[in-house]
Amino acid sequence: MSFLAPLFFVALAGLAIPVLLHLTQKEKKEVVFFPSLMFVRKIPYQASRRRRIQHWFLLALRVAALALIILAFARPLLTRPDAPVALGQGAREVVVLLDTSYSMGYGARWAAATEAARGVVSRLGASDRASIVAFGSGTDILLRSTAEHSALNSAIASAKPGASATRYAPALKVAGSVLAESQLPRREVVLISDFQRSGWRGQEGTALPAGATLTPIAVQGPATQPNLSVTAVSLQRSRFANQERVTVTAGITNRSESAVSNQPVTLEAGGLKVSSKTFSVEGGASTSVTFEPVTISGRNYKGTVRLGADALPADNAFHFVVSPSEPVRVILVDRGGSATGLYLAQAFAIGDSPKFDYVTRQPENLSDDDLRRSSLVVLNDTPVSTPLARRLLKFVEQGGGMLVAAGGRATWPRDVDLLPATIGNPVDRTRGEAARVGGIEYGHPVFETFRAPRSGDFLAVKVYSYRNLGPVTGAQVLARFDAGAPAVVERRVGAGRVLMWASTLDQTWTDLPIRPLFLPFIHRAATHLVAYIPSQPWSTVGQILDTSRAGAHKGQSVPTLVLTPSGARLPVGGDGTEVIELTEQGFYELRGDAKSSDNMAVVASNVDPAEADLTAMDPQDVVAASTGEAQSEAAQTAAAPQTPESREKSQRLWWYLLCLGAALLAAETFVSNRLKT
Amino acid sequence: MSTETHEIPGSRFMDPKVLARIGNLELVSKAVVDGFINGLHKAPYFGASVDFAEHRGYVPGDDIRRMDWRVWARTDRYYIKEYEAESNMNFSVLLDVSKSMDYGGKGIKKIDYARIIAACLTSLVSHQRDRVGMAAFDSDIVEYVPPSAKHMETVLHVLDRLKPGKPGSLKEPLHKLAEHYGRRGVLVLISDFYEDPEAVIEAVKPLRFRGNDIMVLHVLDKDELDFGFADASPFEDLETGEQVPVVPDSLRKEYRAMVQAHIAALTQSFSKVGVDYALFDTSQPLDYVLFRYLSSRSRRLKRR
Repeated sequence: MSFLAPLFFVALAGLAIPVLLHLTQKEKKEVVFFPSLMFVRKIPYQASRRRRIQHWFLLALRVAALALIILAFARPLLTRPDAPVALGQGAREVVVLLDTSYSMGYGARWAAATEAARGVVSRLGASDRASIVAFGSGTDILLRSTAEHSALNSAIASAKPGASATRYAPALKVAGSVLAESQLPRREVVLISDFQRSGWRGQEGTALPAGATLTPIAVQGPATQPNLSVTAVSLQRSRFANQERVTVTAGITNRSESAVSNQPVTLEAGGLKVSSKTFSVEGGASTSVTFEPVTISGRNYKGTVRLGADALPADNAFHFVVSPSEPVRVILVDRGGSATGLYLAQAFAIGDSPKFDYVTRQPENLSDDDLRRSSLVVLNDTPVSTPLARRLLKFVEQGGGMLVAAGGRATWPRDVDLLPATIGNPVDRTRGEAARVGGIEYGHPVFETFRAPRSGDFLAVKVYSYRNLGPVTGAQVLARFDAGAPAVVERRVGAGRVLMWASTLDQTWTDLPIRPLFLPFIHRAATHLVAYIPSQPWSTVGQILDTSRAGAHKGQSVPTLVLTPSGARLPVGGDGTEVIELTEQGFYELRGDAKSSDNMAVVASNVDPAEADLTAMDPQDVVAASTGEAQSEAAQTAAAPQTPESREKSQRLWWYLLCLGAALLAAETFVSNRLKT
Repeated sequence: MSTETHEIPGSRFMDPKVLARIGNLELVSKAVVDGFINGLHKAPYFGASVDFAEHRGYVPGDDIRRMDWRVWARTDRYYIKEYEAESNMNFSVLLDVSKSMDYGGKGIKKIDYARIIAACLTSLVSHQRDRVGMAAFDSDIVEYVPPSAKHMETVLHVLDRLKPGKPGSLKEPLHKLAEHYGRRGVLVLISDFYEDPEAVIEAVKPLRFRGNDIMVLHVLDKDELDFGFADASPFEDLETGEQVPVVPDSLRKEYRAMVQAHIAALTQSFSKVGVDYALFDTSQPLDYVLFRYLSSRSRRLKRR
């Protein structure tokens, strides 16, 4: 039921009038329930007797009469389920969803799919309209709502299987939006796909508009032909003769049921075939092949593992990019001549991901050249002069990181605003209980790794002395001592960060350096301060490439051009967009200049290995989720427009409601008169 | 075949935020406790441990493996080495489920707050390999789960089905419960203590007398502490149903003073009988309050 004049429902507020009349002069005194009145002193309270509603029947009559009259004025409209009309009546709006995921390249599936799409177009009537939508993980409307068969056929011909995986839900949503805009009485979606189970994750809100039908056309066919795919590679780095090498191990899965033997697999590196092996694998099983180590000769070194040709060629190649590991360069500013920096030096000497390359400098020997080459400065309980503080401010503003240990000797000039906190007087906790660290912000990247129970207990760290830190505006306190004083404070300055620890990083004031959590704490702090992002050897088609981050390398500008695997040139940055979706398989090259041939960064893009699993699902699952019930073509119906007579008939209810309301008012008059007498 | 997993009904009271905050702490008994297996707590017996206690003279029948041969070499006398035993403990939550606990002014109800404390502490202790149990009472014992290493789930089930409904008192049920807790352990008493401090101490004494380490957690709503009501209305006692007309503005100052005096009296009285007392305001985040309480208790124990 719907209403022609729903605004009249505002008058329902008038229903309060009879109730108020019945409760005239009632005082509002709601009882407050309280756990115990043990302490509540008894105070005399002027309470008046509550007046209760006495004539419930009369009230009900008045409210019902008013409600019925308001309902009548709102003009209720009875909407019956639309009467089905027979197949073939009225023009049709047809949306052809054509699966262009790479699995459609298996055997003759693509030919069968295009043939089916052309068949749908050929069966369109003169007044029917159709849209062609190609879909994989995303959707592309090739042609929108036209009756021209030639245009529809050329749109089908222009489509071809891409490198993406299958996702039905976005395509059905697009089809629903196209149908919703249509004025034609019959609406239909034709879904042409190989119906892989991996593309369907339940309903996902894919309901089509009411009355729309979904006709699935499955082009599955028997998957008996051999189909091998490279599902992943693992890269093991090693050093040999002062050069970095990588050992590539490829994981290969046989998706077909029959065993294969002596199949070739090759490793290409830097565009050249460097190694070739053979392997055998049972049907439905996986194996791995390890190649000889390859020397990484430069940055963005491209590699590809490639199998021989089979029924589904798209998953036969797996690309990756490796670069020589670049250490995080750290300057350890220390007074020197003692063992104060020993624990820090040991911590930075350990670690491969990333590797730390540290040098120790005395404050007066820290040169501009040192700062230029480094991304992290550690001030280990050091007094800092004003000129040095200004140079450090510039260093941090330009993106550098700084870790400050505020021990007994740490000083900082007042006129340079860089530290997250002012360094106050030392607090001696050598007598009595040593200070403990608590109140930790476990959501922060530095402490996130210690979040789980028994993964590093800061409460066990004893701090015998610390400096009283006064956080400045904009600084964040990440941990506190038990007395409430800040223990770890962080602040963003320009493009860089400064992290401050209120005690020493040696054993003078605390036993932190001999605790197991010292090493992960220092490593997490260092990687956070230099915004270290581990390199990703490959991405998957459908992922988003953020070019502003992909090209981010110290001393480099932002890329302006992306060269796609198919050779297309996409402008990015200033006039273009900063993010692009990976749609092709191969290497995306990011360049700083259109004329330059040097790559600032290379991103390897691979097909989603889940798509290589050709296990089929029942198309009726999609139909049931999208239309509410599994339908066959014979059950297709469409909505018919209502005639003026039937429209008038469905609105006549208001008349009866008005009569009933008037009758109730008459009854009310009678009852109230009787009550008065 | 269904593959769904069913949660224990009471596990909703095991607030992950609280557990994450207190997960690294230990709840250690400050008194000696009786247990069967080695644990974190001091036991009343000498036994197998690494903490040396004392020497005593050898008497025939002693195990000669425990003889201290170095002392014999120096003194030419036989001495036996004694070690302090460490034991696991019995842990029980005594939860007041009287009708007054069913109050929650603008936020969580006191009973739910108490249930989360009970569930979280029980979980913490259960992870220490200690035996856990609980008892709920109003004017009588409503539920009793004896301490056992396998009773974690039972405690959660019981917590889930508890419904405050009757008026409560402390003396009778706690005296009856003292009979059940013959073995020394840790007891956590959670209540709103709407009784005179002397009566409360009298009720708790038998439990303390038997050597139990008692932690008293006084749970109150912000309304009960501040009396922040605005309108003059009749106030009804949740337990007795008695109605009293109240003008909060004229009463507030006096009410707050009386509540603070009550709390001060409870703090002092419990301190005299060696019982840990803490006030929990249900408007405070439980994770923070419980963490503060447990860590301060842990510090106090270490100082001792």
